[in-house]
Amino acid sequence: MNEQDTLRTHQNTGASDSGDPAQTDDIQIMGKIVVRELRTDEFSAADRCWVDYHETTGDPATDRIFAVFSGDMIVSLARCRRHPDGMDVDGIFTPAEHRRKGYSRLAVSALVEACHNDDLYMHAVRHLVGFYAEQGFFPIEEKVLPPTIRERYVWAGGNLEGAEVQPMLRKAGLFSD
Amino acid sequence: MKIFHVFNSSSPFTRTRVITITIATIIALGINFVGITSGITTVLSHALYIPIILAGYWFPRRGLLFSTIIAVFYGTLIAYTLPLDPLLIVSTLSRMAFFVLIGGVVAFLSTKLRESEQQLHEIIEFLPYPTFAVNRNGEVIAWNQAVEELTGVKKAEILNKGDYAYSLAFYDIKRPALLDLILTPNPETQALYPLIKKEGKKLVSEVFIPRFKGGKGVHLRVAATALVDSSGNITGAIESIRDITEQVMTASALQNTSSRLNTIAGIVRHDISRKLAGLYGILSIGVMKFDDPEVLFFIEALKDSAQGIQRQIDISREFKDIGTSPPTWIPVQNAVLDAIKRLGVGGVTLRIWTERLEIFADPHMPAVFFYIFDATIKETEGVTTVVVTYHIQKNGCAILIETDGAGIEKSIKESLFTQREERYGHGLFLAHEICSISGITIKETGTPKKGTRFEILIPSEGYRIL
Repeated sequence: MNEQDTLRTHQNTGASDSGDPAQTDDIQIMGKIVVRELRTDEFSAADRCWVDYHETTGDPATDRIFAVFSGDMIVSLARCRRHPDGMDVDGIFTPAEHRRKGYSRLAVSALVEACHNDDLYMHAVRHLVGFYAEQGFFPIEEKVLPPTIRERYVWAGGNLEGAEVQPMLRKAGLFSD
Repeated sequence: MKIFHVFNSSSPFTRTRVITITIATIIALGINFVGITSGITTVLSHALYIPIILAGYWFPRRGLLFSTIIAVFYGTLIAYTLPLDPLLIVSTLSRMAFFVLIGGVVAFLSTKLRESEQQLHEIIEFLPYPTFAVNRNGEVIAWNQAVEELTGVKKAEILNKGDYAYSLAFYDIKRPALLDLILTPNPETQALYPLIKKEGKKLVSEVFIPRFKGGKGVHLRVAATALVDSSGNITGAIESIRDITEQVMTASALQNTSSRLNTIAGIVRHDISRKLAGLYGILSIGVMKFDDPEVLFFIEALKDSAQGIQRQIDISREFKDIGTSPPTWIPVQNAVLDAIKRLGVGGVTLRIWTERLEIFADPHMPAVFFYIFDATIKETEGVTTVVVTYHIQKNGCAILIETDGAGIEKSIKESLFTQREERYGHGLFLAHEICSISGITIKETGTPKKGTRFEILIPSEGYRIL
């Protein structure tokens, strides 16, 4: 468990979620905020939170889910899913009423730090590429994505640009990067 | 007739099958009779494949004969009901041939399947370890000779029985067994078995059953795994049991011996410490009494040697309980937090991302984290942040403890986990020894001037993500 004051050294300003670009650097996190990984028995709470996010559900066998709590309430989520050929970051979501408070940045930072031993791939919404770049992600060509991760957007028929999606990669590493 | 012997079978299973085939045959022939008398000679004949396939599958030895009889019935029906013309004769004979062919093919394939099943049953039957299996409904489908000998329950008494009948044979009570955890994962069943380990696809645990061997009791190692079909669906579970009573008794005897040796070592340690305290006293008086530089140098050398002995005593004291308790599942997050609490980290920021990780290790594992934090936070310059993560690898799971700061010089790295007197003390040596008890390895792979990175590698069977 990492409380707000523990996190202060590297992530004390607000961030955006998928629908709220990073324009909130001046907003300070208020109240008792805790960022931690969810235990298996808490996955159902994440599923409930994700109902408004494509009805995403977590699978304890493949997923690590990182949540930002305000008191007992989940206010932001991020997921790292283990595929046979790579790690996929998705499910980054903050319910509308909790946006513009930097929670998303906390969730993604936690995920990146906890999973930094692997290369991390993601399909970023194009207007959030800058936000994810702050976490060490950089744009890549679709063909660089591992096949099972690429499959998620196979419906776009190779036109990810048209789908407003940018594949990104964060190379494994912690302090040195 | 021999074919009807099956009707006299005492097995309710067989009777049900015979009745099903009879009904299917009557219905199929009835439909064909009505169809033929109405002038329909196509399509409806396919209904006869149903009893033919069922008979060929359930009674492969009689499948061909049965399909031949059906074919004859069908041919006779046509011949007596419809005016025959060459086309009708050819088409009827073709259908009859197909009936016989289908019946023969199904019977052949079913025979091969039965042979394969029989081989599997024989393998289970003659396994040296007591083994039994249940289907998805919890009914016993295999119960080998070794389990008969262990429990005294014969295969004929228990086969096809459900409702935890197998547990009655072991525990004298109807309750879920380890293989039920495969079919229905459930915390209550899990609570019945201490220290359940996941080894690949197997669940493994140990139990003591007091009533076996004439009340002397036996220690059993139980392993359970799923039975899956070709699509990967779980169709049942199999449990294999091994008597480990001798191993447990040997381990217990070793523990007793170890405990006694510890007591003796403690007494010796105490006596040496007392003598050493006396020696320190004499040397201190010597320093005050003599002012000859040569004598003082000599006294100083004696003091150094005495301090070396004191260090050996300290190591021996810290080492005395290591390995005396059996390994157990340890939540890593708690172990790390315990170590931090014991050490105190001042202004250093710690972030631990091991919430779901448990490792099977010596109960002194928190001391490993303590000594690593001691070496990194207290002994290394410039550390402001410590991050603890884990990484699943092909050969196990690595717990990674990383810091910023000065890191550890290359020249020191090589002897970091050996017993030394200078910086880093003997803590990392002890950490290494604690880890090695459970087959865990530890190394430092950080970059000098960039930070430390300790990697604790847990073998594949020694970790689980909850």
